[in-house]
Amino acid sequence: MSEMDAYRALYIAESRENHETIVKNLLVLENGPDEAAIAEIFRSAHSLKGMSATMGFKHMERVCHAMEDVFQLIRSGQLEVHQDLVDLLLAASDDIELMLDDIESEGPGTIDHLEERVQSLLDWKADRHTPGGMDAGSMQSENGATVPAQIADEALLEEKEGQFQMLIRLRDDCDSRNLRGMLLLQNLDQFGTIIQCIPDREIVEDGVFDGTIRLVIRSDAGIDALKTAASVSDVKEVLFGPDIEMAAGKTAPGREGVGKPLTGSDIVAAGTDHAPGLAKQVKEERVDKSREVKNIRVDITRLDQMMNLIEDLVINRGRLAQIARKFQIKELDETLNMVGRSVSDLQNLMMNIRMIPLSHIFNRFPRTVRDLAHKEEKEVEFTIEGGDTELDRSIMDGLNDPLLHLIRNGVDHGIEKPEIRMRSGKPGKGKLNLIASRDRDNVVIVIEDDGTGINREKVARKAVERGLITELQAAEMTNEAVYDLLFLPGFSTAEKVTDVSGRGVGLDVVRTAIDNLKGTIKVESSPGKGSRFELVLPPTMAIVNVIMVRINGRRCAIPVNNVVEVAGLSVSKIHHIGTQEAIMMRDEVLPLDRLDDMFGKSDKTEILVVLQHQNKKRTIAVDMIEGQQEVVIKPLSSMIGGCRGISGITIPGDGEVVPVLDVNAIVREN
Amino acid sequence: MGRILIVDDTLFMRTLLKNILFSGGHSIVGEAGDGDEAIEKYKELKPDLVTMDVVMPKMNGIEALKGIKAFDPNAKVIMCTAVGQEQMVKLAIKSGARGYVVKPFQAPKVLEEIKNVLGS
Repeated sequence: MSEMDAYRALYIAESRENHETIVKNLLVLENGPDEAAIAEIFRSAHSLKGMSATMGFKHMERVCHAMEDVFQLIRSGQLEVHQDLVDLLLAASDDIELMLDDIESEGPGTIDHLEERVQSLLDWKADRHTPGGMDAGSMQSENGATVPAQIADEALLEEKEGQFQMLIRLRDDCDSRNLRGMLLLQNLDQFGTIIQCIPDREIVEDGVFDGTIRLVIRSDAGIDALKTAASVSDVKEVLFGPDIEMAAGKTAPGREGVGKPLTGSDIVAAGTDHAPGLAKQVKEERVDKSREVKNIRVDITRLDQMMNLIEDLVINRGRLAQIARKFQIKELDETLNMVGRSVSDLQNLMMNIRMIPLSHIFNRFPRTVRDLAHKEEKEVEFTIEGGDTELDRSIMDGLNDPLLHLIRNGVDHGIEKPEIRMRSGKPGKGKLNLIASRDRDNVVIVIEDDGTGINREKVARKAVERGLITELQAAEMTNEAVYDLLFLPGFSTAEKVTDVSGRGVGLDVVRTAIDNLKGTIKVESSPGKGSRFELVLPPTMAIVNVIMVRINGRRCAIPVNNVVEVAGLSVSKIHHIGTQEAIMMRDEVLPLDRLDDMFGKSDKTEILVVLQHQNKKRTIAVDMIEGQQEVVIKPLSSMIGGCRGISGITIPGDGEVVPVLDVNAIVREN
Repeated sequence: MGRILIVDDTLFMRTLLKNILFSGGHSIVGEAGDGDEAIEKYKELKPDLVTMDVVMPKMNGIEALKGIKAFDPNAKVIMCTAVGQEQMVKLAIKSGARGYVVKPFQAPKVLEEIKNVLGS
C-alpha cells in the first residue's frame, strides 16, 4: 500500500469529481430517462471502481462495482429507473462520499453496512436481469461449457507437410484464459491455418478450460514465427510435437502426437521472455515527458506558501525602492520598476491560479434541496446560475456552510407546501434560485425563493419577546431594520425546531461567516412573494485596497470598500449626545469615534473618515491621509490572539508594520 | 523501449500507468482522455503502442481502437480492462487489439504485456 500513498491525493480528488458526477446525474434521472446521464453515471462508477481497486479500497470497489452493474442493466434497457432505485443509488453515493471522507482522513475507507448495501443493489440486478444479458460477472467466463481434459484420442489429424502440432500452456495466474487464448489463436491465424484446436476454439474463447491448448496448424512461416506468435503474456510454455520432423518430410505424425504432454529431444520450448525482435529495438529518442501534460494538481498549501513568498517579495521590493530613492541610485530605481512589474504580474497570476469556480460548491446543493423538499413534502424547482464565477479558494472554503444554511432556510422556511401555495394562487412547485455574478471587483451571490416571505410582525414580536428590542422600537423600525434582527445571535422564527434549520443556530452564524470573509449580507422580502438574500464578497482576501491614515502620528490602514467618504473635520460641527460625539452630515447623525485607546490621544485630528458596514455608518477622526494603495493583509499570529479593532497587519514598502482597521467590528460593536 | 500513448479518462489511471511505463524504460509520447482525442493523438504522434481504456466519455475504447486501426492497420493497441468487461475486450480483440491488461494494474504484468506486444 505504501507505494500507492503517493496517489492518494489524486485518487481522492478525482473520486470526488466522479462522485459529484454520479449525484448530479442521478438527480437528472429522477426527472425522467436520460441516456447521457445514464452513460455518465456508468462511466463514473466504473472509473471509481477501477481506481478504488487499484488503491486497495475494497469497500469502495464493491459498492461502485454493484452500482456499475445496475447501470449496465439500465443502459442496456433491461432495467427501468424507479424512484426507489434512485433513492437507493443516492444512498449508495452517500456511502461513497462517507468512504472518501474517511480515506481523506487517512482511514481505511470502510462502511459498516457494506454487505447490506451491495446486496440491496444486487437485488435490483437479480430481479430484473433477464437471460442473455450483458456479462456483468467476473473475468472468468461462466458460460458453463466444460471440456474434459483428456480428449486426445479423439483427435484426428490430416497428415501433411508444413503442419505443426503445438501445445501451449497458460500460466496459472492468467487473468482471463478466454481472452489470452483468443489473442493467441488470433496471432497464430496470421501465420497459418489452424486445422484443429483442442478444446474447440469456441470453448477457448468463451467456455471453461484448464489453460492448456493443443492445436495443429498448417503454416509455411516456420517454427520460429509460430513460436513468437504463441509467446504472448501469460503463456507458461509453448511446446512443439514430433511432427516438426514431419514438416521436414521425415516422420509421419502419429495420432498420439496430439493431446498428451510432449517430452523429449524433439520438443522445443519457447520461453516468453525471449521474444525475438525486442533486441532489435533501437534506442528510442526520449520525447519530452511533460510535453503532453496540460494540467497538474497542486496541493493548496503549496499555493499558500508561494503566495507568502510573493508577498515577501513585494515587501522587499518596496524596501529596495526606498533605499534606491534614499541614495539616489537611478539604475537601481529603474531596475526595481521592472522587478515591480514582474512581481505584480506574478501576484496576479498567483491570484488567478487560486481562483476556482463556484460550481465547486454549488454542485452539491441540488441534492440537498431535493432531499429536503422530499422530506418536507414540498415541490421545489432549484436553478443555479453563474457557477462559473470564480472565487479565491480560501473564500470558497468559508462559503459552503453559510450558503448551505441559506438554501436550507429557503426550502424549510421560505417555500410553502404545494396545497398552501395553490390556495394563495401560486403554482404548487416553488422556485429557489441560486445566482452568482461578478459585479466590478466583487462577487455577488443571490439566493431567492418565491415562498412565503418574511413576516415583519412575527419577527418584531419575537424580537420583543426575546428582549432584543422594545415594542416602541419595533413599531418605529423600517422593514429593513426588522429583517436585520434575523441576523442577531439566537434568533429563530421557526415555530418548531426542525432538524433542518432552526437547530439553535440561526442566521447570525451566517452573518459571522460572511463577515469573516470580509463580505456583506442583506435580505429583502415581500410577504407572500418571497425572500432574497444577497451576499457580496471580495473575490480574494489576500490583496486589499486600503487608504493609509495617520492617527497621533501612527499609521493605520483602512480597507477602501469600508470607506464611504472623507471630509474635513471642523470642531464647531461636533455635537455631543451624552458622552458620545456625533457629526451631522447631510441630515444624517453619524457617531464620531476617536481611536484614542488604540493610537493614543491625538490633538491634530483634522480629517473625518466615514466608515460603513452593512447599512450602519460611523465616523472616525484621523490626523491625515497618506494615500491609497494595494496591500497584502496578513492575519495576526495565533500567538497574539484576537485583537479588537484590528483585522490584521500589513507591511508596506518601507518595512513598517501597519495595523489594518477591522471596520466591520468597529461599526457593529459600537 | 517503446514510445507509448496512454488513453484513459481518469488522471489517476494515467498517472499510475505512466509511472509503471517509465519504470519499464518506456517513454510516454502523449495522453488522451477520450476516444476522439486518442485517434487524433495517434495520427499526430504515431506511437509504437497505445494503452486503451475501454469505458470513456464521447467515444469508447473499442470505437477508438477501430478508428486507430482504420488509420494504421498495424497499430499495436493494448486494452486496459476491468473485471466484468470480458465481452468488450473480446470485441476489441476481434477488432485488432493486440493485448490486454487487467485493472488493478500489476506493474510486472503490464510491462510484460507491453514488451511482448512491442516485440511481436
